[in-house]
Amino acid sequence: MRNLGNRRGRTGSGPQVGEARSHTRVEAPLSFRASHIPLYLALITGAIVSATPFLFMMSTSLMTLGETINRRLLPDVPQWANYVEAWSNASFDLYFRNSVILSVVTIAGVLITCTLAGYAFARISFPGRNVIFTILLSTLMIPGTVTFIPQFLLVRGDIIPWGNWIDTLPALTVPFLSTAFIIFLFRQFFAEIPSELWDAARLDGAGHWRFLAQVVLPMSRPVLTTGALLTFVNTWNEFLWPLLITYTAKWRPLGVGLYTFISEAGPETHLLMAGSVITIVPVLIVYFFTQKQFTEGIATSGLKG
Amino acid sequence: MLKSAPPPRNIRPRRRFKSEWITGYLMVLPSTILISLFGLFPIGYAIYMSVHRWRIRKGGFIGLDNYEKVLGSWMGALAFFGGLMLILVGHWLWTTAFRGHSDWRRWARLGGALTLLSAGISIALGWGAMTEAGEARFLNGIIRTTYYGFISVPTQIILALIIASLLFQRLRGSETFRMLFFLPYVTPAVAGAAVFGALFSPRDERPINTLLSWLGIPPQDWLFEPDPVLELIINSVLVRWANFTGNEPIEVALSGFWAGPSLALITIIIFGIWTYTGYNAVIFLAGLANIPKDLYEAAEIDGAGQRQRFMHITVPLLSPVTFYLTVLGFIGTFQAFTHLYVMRVPATRDAVDTASVVIFDTFYKRNDFSLAASQSIVLFVIILILTLFNQRILGGRGR
Repeated sequence: MRNLGNRRGRTGSGPQVGEARSHTRVEAPLSFRASHIPLYLALITGAIVSATPFLFMMSTSLMTLGETINRRLLPDVPQWANYVEAWSNASFDLYFRNSVILSVVTIAGVLITCTLAGYAFARISFPGRNVIFTILLSTLMIPGTVTFIPQFLLVRGDIIPWGNWIDTLPALTVPFLSTAFIIFLFRQFFAEIPSELWDAARLDGAGHWRFLAQVVLPMSRPVLTTGALLTFVNTWNEFLWPLLITYTAKWRPLGVGLYTFISEAGPETHLLMAGSVITIVPVLIVYFFTQKQFTEGIATSGLKG
Repeated sequence: MLKSAPPPRNIRPRRRFKSEWITGYLMVLPSTILISLFGLFPIGYAIYMSVHRWRIRKGGFIGLDNYEKVLGSWMGALAFFGGLMLILVGHWLWTTAFRGHSDWRRWARLGGALTLLSAGISIALGWGAMTEAGEARFLNGIIRTTYYGFISVPTQIILALIIASLLFQRLRGSETFRMLFFLPYVTPAVAGAAVFGALFSPRDERPINTLLSWLGIPPQDWLFEPDPVLELIINSVLVRWANFTGNEPIEVALSGFWAGPSLALITIIIFGIWTYTGYNAVIFLAGLANIPKDLYEAAEIDGAGQRQRFMHITVPLLSPVTFYLTVLGFIGTFQAFTHLYVMRVPATRDAVDTASVVIFDTFYKRNDFSLAASQSIVLFVIILILTLFNQRILGGRGR
């Protein structure tokens, strides 16, 4: 795990230029000193606060109903059957499949549209470029509570007569197929690619499309991964929009499914926690394997933003 | 707010048409269409909807009726929003006006103080007039949103700064700590809210109430408690005092803006802080790594202590990051929805219904599309004013 992380190395901060920037990683950690004890105590307190809800969730999800009301920290015998029961009580298999499909479609769309836009904004100069970029970026300041009402009419086909998308896949994905934040993230990365590479490619007779496909994309794996991860987490965790536009379970994602399950589960905390585990675990797995890329991507984009 | 990477070097101004342009336009076209349609167009259309009768289907033009219904009184609204603007003027007079003219400066400060005072009065009076006739549910929602934002964002930022400076000490294991702190941010809010609901359950045997019982505090109702925290604290002190003196305990009941948030809302605020502190810390950490090391070395040679270095180097040089996180934090908290919606219980009625929850209900449950649209526009204007505040007050310090 550790080696894997190191091999992936630094990410997000641009190719080649990134080396000097990440001071933290270049220097080896200090060896332990007595003066570090208060620092560790503070960090451990924080870590306990961060992690307790997860531990509570895991442990409770494996208890019997009796154990959940008896001040128990851990179950006597782990009740793995709880997961089966939660899974079959609510149609988690359907919700799970829906969430996976939604995530894959959205990630694919975002990667395509935002790579193209990010590249053009970074490396092609055309009239109106900065104006368009600024206007697109301004959407980052617009709260979702303002946009969801007209968006609802849009996907219902009230404004543009393209038919009613409610309860279909397009309604859940099309509005999210491009986001200003990811464009911004990609543009930062592409802008730092040395222009010598472009000059060389042009001498070989390559245009922008070929340069993008054959030179830029292969060296952009880290930032593309970061973009995909951010999109995955956002799609997986989206709630208001799918709640609004899924009337049936057909395309209902996990978050909304879990919400309906919560409303029905009542006092059966162990099943509720089992349902929460089912919803959280995919994100946690993805996060554990990519956390370096993830946090560093967020850090650099936030820093430049 | 958004500083971006330098443009490519090969720009020459005033060039003739190039085929390159076509490529550029083609590449930005999909994103531009999508974002314009689903991100920008809705703003204009929400305004359009708010001035029409619109329940499920569009009706006739009704002008500003909806806004009058929401805001109650035009004079009140004018006094309220004018008061907010006056704060900016007062702040400008106090800090920047006549900088360098020492005799005028004193007068400018006096003027600034007076302006701030009258701004406060204007806001209070205006709000009073608005709540008398306006839509109580929404206006109360705005108050709760204000509590939520103004408690949550500063707490997150201060905690995150502390965590980031701890993680920056190059301790062994700091990568593991960073990973743990960031974990809540990636957690789906519905699941996280379900877990917090169980942790903070009103039942005696649940973890948080058990923790309280170890500290000798009676179990609380948490998400089921619509009373203000302040009232609960005062009453528990009064009960103890009564037990001590042997008299009948007195009970107080607080209400209004200064009573503060309910315990239910505070529980939800704790969830918000738990979720976003790690995210802020990660961004602070990157900001810390960008501060040149030699500044600290120079300060150390000049005899500055650790605390001085923190206050005079770290804090000012991090202020662009702080600004960014504050703006983001306020936009985020003012539109927070998911965990509020999941954690609210019927027992507390509307105790945790922030403005965004009210907007959603107006749309989804009451099906009054145009009223919901006008409420969302009012919320948007308030967020814009807040961003302006951040820019003037926090953003100005970095320069």
